[in-house]
Order: sequence, then C-alpha cells, then structure tokens
Amino acid sequence: PCRAQPKKKKKVDVKREQAQKDRMKKKIKKLEKAAPEMIPIEDFITPLKYSDSHRVRSLPPLSFEETERRVLLMKKWCLFKQKQDEAEKKAIQTLVKAQQEALKELRLESEELYQAAIRRDEGLFPFERDGPDYTPPLPGYDPPEGKCVDITKVYTQ
Amino acid sequence: TAAAPRPWRLFGAMCLLRLPRITQPLEKEEEEMAALMGQIELEKSQYSDHEIRKLEEEEQLRRRKESKYDEDEARGKRVIMAQDLEDKWEQKLLRFEPAPRITDADKNNDRTSLNRRLDSNLMLLVKQKIGNQELWLLPQVEWQPGETLRSTAERAMATFLGDHIEAKILGNAPYGIYKYKFPKAIRTEDNVGAKVFFFKAFLQSSDLSQAELKEDYLWVTKDELGDYLKSEYLKKVNRFLLD
Repeated sequence: PCRAQPKKKKKVDVKREQAQKDRMKKKIKKLEKAAPEMIPIEDFITPLKYSDSHRVRSLPPLSFEETERRVLLMKKWCLFKQKQDEAEKKAIQTLVKAQQEALKELRLESEELYQAAIRRDEGLFPFERDGPDYTPPLPGYDPPEGKCVDITKVYTQ
Repeated sequence: TAAAPRPWRLFGAMCLLRLPRITQPLEKEEEEMAALMGQIELEKSQYSDHEIRKLEEEEQLRRRKESKYDEDEARGKRVIMAQDLEDKWEQKLLRFEPAPRITDADKNNDRTSLNRRLDSNLMLLVKQKIGNQELWLLPQVEWQPGETLRSTAERAMATFLGDHIEAKILGNAPYGIYKYKFPKAIRTEDNVGAKVFFFKAFLQSSDLSQAELKEDYLWVTKDELGDYLKSEYLKKVNRFLLD
C-alpha cells in the first residue's frame, strides 16, 4: 500500500496537469482568434456632458436680408476661389514651360551639361521650412516659463 | 570626336530669394468670408463651460441686485468671477507689443535692407559691367569648362555675397534662359552671343552681416523688378518667378 499510492498520485498529477495545460492553450487560442478590439477615435465620440439641452445657444433667427447676403457672398467666394486657382495653375504652367525651354537650349549647347542638369538632386528632399507668421519675431523676447504635459491616451491593440 | 566649339558663351546666374516672413494681408472677399465662417460656427456651436459659468454669475448678480438675498446666495459664491478673468486676460493681451509688420526699412524705402516687405519674396540684384555698360542684373558669372552650370551659379552667388551664405538651391536644372546676340561691333564667327541660365535658391539664413558685398546690390520684389531690369531680360525672368 505504501508503494502503490505515491505512484498513482504521480500519474494522476501528471495527467491532470497536462489536461490543465491543454485547456489553457485552447482558451488562449480562442482569445487570439477573436478579432482585435478597435481603438476608439476620441474625436468622433461626443462626451455626454455636451448633450445637455441647457447648453443650446439661444440666438434670434436670421432675417431674410441676412440669408440673402450670405448666399450672395458664397457665390462671390466661389468665383474668387476659381479665379485664384486658375491663376495658380497658369503660373505653374509658365514655370514648367520656361524650364523646358531652358533645358532644350542647354541640350543644344552641350550634352554633358544637359545630363548633369537633369540628374536628380538628392539633397533637395526632405525639404523643411517654417511657415510665415502674422508678425515678425520680436528680437530679445523672453517667453514665459512653463512645462507642457502630454495627456493623450495611448491605446495598444 | 570633340564637338565643334559653339558660338554661344554660357553664363550661370543665381536668383536668390528671401522667402516671406509674415502672412500677406487678406483680400476683401477673404475677410468677408472669414467673418461669415466665424458667425456660422458661433451659431452652430453650444455653450462652453466658461460661458455657462459667466451666464450663471450674471444671473446671480442680477438676482442679488433686485432682491438683496446675499446670505442665501452667498453659499455658491465664487471668489473670482468669470468676467474678472476675461478682463485680466484682455489686459494681459494689451500689454503685449508684437513686432511691427511694417518695418523701418519699409518706411524709408531702403532697398538694400532685407527687412523690407516681409510679406513677399525679395530677390538679389547686382550692378554688373557687361561690355561697356553698367547694368542691374541677377548675379551671373561665365561658365568655365569642367564645372556644371549649377556650380557656376553657386560661384556667382559666392562672388557677390561671400562664401558664408546658406542657400538651398532648388535642383540641378535651370529655371529659365535669356539668350542675346552681341552687338555687331563685337560679334565674330565664334562669338555670336551669350546664353544666361537662371537657377533659383532660397536664402536660409536671415543674417548677412558675414557677407562681403563688393558691388552695388539691391533686394527687390517681383513688381519692383521693372524699375531696374531691361524689358527683354525682365520678360524672361518674370516667367520663372511666382508671386
């Protein structure tokens, strides 16, 4: 009896542990097969505190003249933007034409200079430039001290 | 077999642009449209926390004035009112003085300074001797065999501005060409005329105190070019300049 019982325990333990491991592996496989959870886009979800009715702005309704003025202004804007766009496209076309002409003349001059000219310029891109501001930088301006703490939520899939 | 020598002399010229530092003023339609967009956005929006706080405090003040219930209302009273905060912010804004958009150089019309017309492109013009005439031109030098045209243009820039200029040249290809024939007095079989190839570069450093400027120079905008350049030359240059 002393010898038989420890042997049984070992076998049963080993089998039970094996069975447990298999069950765990099956569960893990099931979880992995399930589709990964989508990362919520915080911009598209309006927080609940903004669906209160007492937040709605109360303004007088628009008069007829105001709506008319708006419609006419939109039409003027359409035309303005169209003209601006056409002017830009025309300017770009003249630019390209001028360059083509220059390259044609250069080719007539010497083939090797032409080949050097149409070679790609590796140092050109990435091209970085700070855009223009409303006022020029103030010389000797001391910006106030402060620390910027980034509180964006980062989701991992 | 070596190619026969061409009768055209080659020059490389550099159009150095100082990019605008401030935004251009809005056109009338743009301003009207911006105002309209602001109005529509205000109409479609809801009250923010700050505005709700302001409205509540105005209600409280009104009720206190009308019916003098100080003790009861004082429970929810805040030390700083929203209106005070707004006044404080307004004061802070008024105390800040930004740099002026129209600089002194603008007022004096000092065309040699780079601080003029901060809202448009400025390009470099130098006075050069061509033949026996002194002309205002984009800086140019003659091409020498063994270098590419781009290096000729870089050399032109270095000749007039010194070596310590940080400029980003936009590509290896020329942007424009100006072809002219020499006057009949100088013209020979091998020397009919000249071709000037223009290259464009953006000035990166805004400080040119290191530059050793030798000749007369000017920084002008596209519309002022007409005051200095000859008409044919101007026509060709205008083609590759965007406003």
